[in-house]
Amino acid sequence: MMKDEKNILEVSHLVKSFGSHEVLKDIDFTVKKGDVISIIGASGSGKSTMLRCINLLETPTGGSIYYHGDDITDPKMSVSTYREKVGMVFQSFNLFNNLSVLDNCMIGPEKVAKKDKKTAKDLSMQFLVKVGMEQYINAKPRQLSGGQKQRVAIARALAMEPEILLFDELTSALDPQMVGEVLNVMSTLAEEGMTMLIVTHEMAFARDISSHVIFMADGVIEEEGTSGQIFGNPQKEKTREFLSRFRNL
Amino acid sequence: MSISQMNFFQRIIYLLQTYWMSYLKGAGTTLVIAIISTFIGCLIGFAVGIIQTIPVDKKRDSAPKRALLKVVKIILKAYVEIFRGTPMIVQAVFIYYGAAQVFNIQFGMWSAAFFVVSINTGAYMAESVRGGIISVDPGQMEGAKAIGMTHFQAMLYVIIPQAFRNIIPQIGNNFIINIKDTSVLSIISIVDLFFVHKSVAGALYTYFESATIVMVIYLIMTLVSSRLLLLWEKKLDGDENFELADAMDVGTQFGQDIRGR
Repeated sequence: MMKDEKNILEVSHLVKSFGSHEVLKDIDFTVKKGDVISIIGASGSGKSTMLRCINLLETPTGGSIYYHGDDITDPKMSVSTYREKVGMVFQSFNLFNNLSVLDNCMIGPEKVAKKDKKTAKDLSMQFLVKVGMEQYINAKPRQLSGGQKQRVAIARALAMEPEILLFDELTSALDPQMVGEVLNVMSTLAEEGMTMLIVTHEMAFARDISSHVIFMADGVIEEEGTSGQIFGNPQKEKTREFLSRFRNL
Repeated sequence: MSISQMNFFQRIIYLLQTYWMSYLKGAGTTLVIAIISTFIGCLIGFAVGIIQTIPVDKKRDSAPKRALLKVVKIILKAYVEIFRGTPMIVQAVFIYYGAAQVFNIQFGMWSAAFFVVSINTGAYMAESVRGGIISVDPGQMEGAKAIGMTHFQAMLYVIIPQAFRNIIPQIGNNFIINIKDTSVLSIISIVDLFFVHKSVAGALYTYFESATIVMVIYLIMTLVSSRLLLLWEKKLDGDENFELADAMDVGTQFGQDIRGR
């Protein structure tokens, strides 16, 4: 693969097996600064596994993931340092249940990035305002609705000032009313130039927000292209069949 | 009136009037051993439980590190099994008398008492802590890793505080067991509440009356303890409600530079 200064991530020949079951087969793609890439496909096609491999929550079975040219699957690389720069937000929120909303956001900048308390608090407040959760800083996660939790989870990831954010089906556990508030926050981030990799089932959202779309089927990238190409003029039969299920596109 | 002419209640009053100081001191000894040993036992239990749950990364951890961790885990597992699997009364005799004869280590009876109860509590707590840690939602660890925390940081700030909350009932349980089980320490001449009972009852042949008094004192100690532990749990759970922060205040402080971007 060509070295390109603008490439933040280069995924090369990525393979992931659970036992004899091969979930990801030879995945290749690149993420450039400012890209908003949506990953779509049926459940079980390997989308979430791929995202989790990129953040090394799953250890890839084969292949490499280059971050600014360094292979992070190399055992000598520090995983935690890499994860500081590649944030992830989960379908199940994973907010720290023992901490308040503000502390959830502050703990990363303060304890991981070793910023002083004041800076950590200012950063956290800045992003809590952005997601519209600044009033709830004293609440515990269990006191929030799903949509509110997800917005706090996004603020927590942003407070680490990451280069890329990985979004793993953020809205799948939310009711329709709350889906909107989370998607709005993501749209704002995209407009501001945040580099994002989004696994989603919200097709209209993926079409409108993405600079690039990856369609996955059975552990391989079946088709990829601009949002217009994939949604407007899909080439592969599988892509057409998958998208035909979403009538109001 | 001699003690043989008294009825049950008169005897109890007589015993309390004559020996109240001894009963109180015995109860004090029992409580001191139970409190200190439960505390030390919890420290041991947390240390063992935390080490037992350290994950092994075959790719990233060096072979010597993995081997060392494995040996340490086996030793700790053996410790837990041995001290959970033998009676404390036998352990007390074994350590107090056995250590002196075989290994030439002379434990004082107090250090032997604290040692036996602590190490016993530690063995039980180790399993409770391990259980408490693995029962925390795995998503919590993933959330911590996703913002760049190391395993140690995630344990310290996220997992242990939550596991600790879940373990408190177990700590309370162990404390109450310890209040009662220190009675076996009378075998190594610790003057605890049960030892006082044996002395008093033996001297005056008032077994039933003295046992009644001692039962009530044990019950008071355990009931008060479980009550206090419940209050502690409630306090840790925090308020059900929360205050909304002042939107205007927050907005003017942080709103400007955000909307200006």
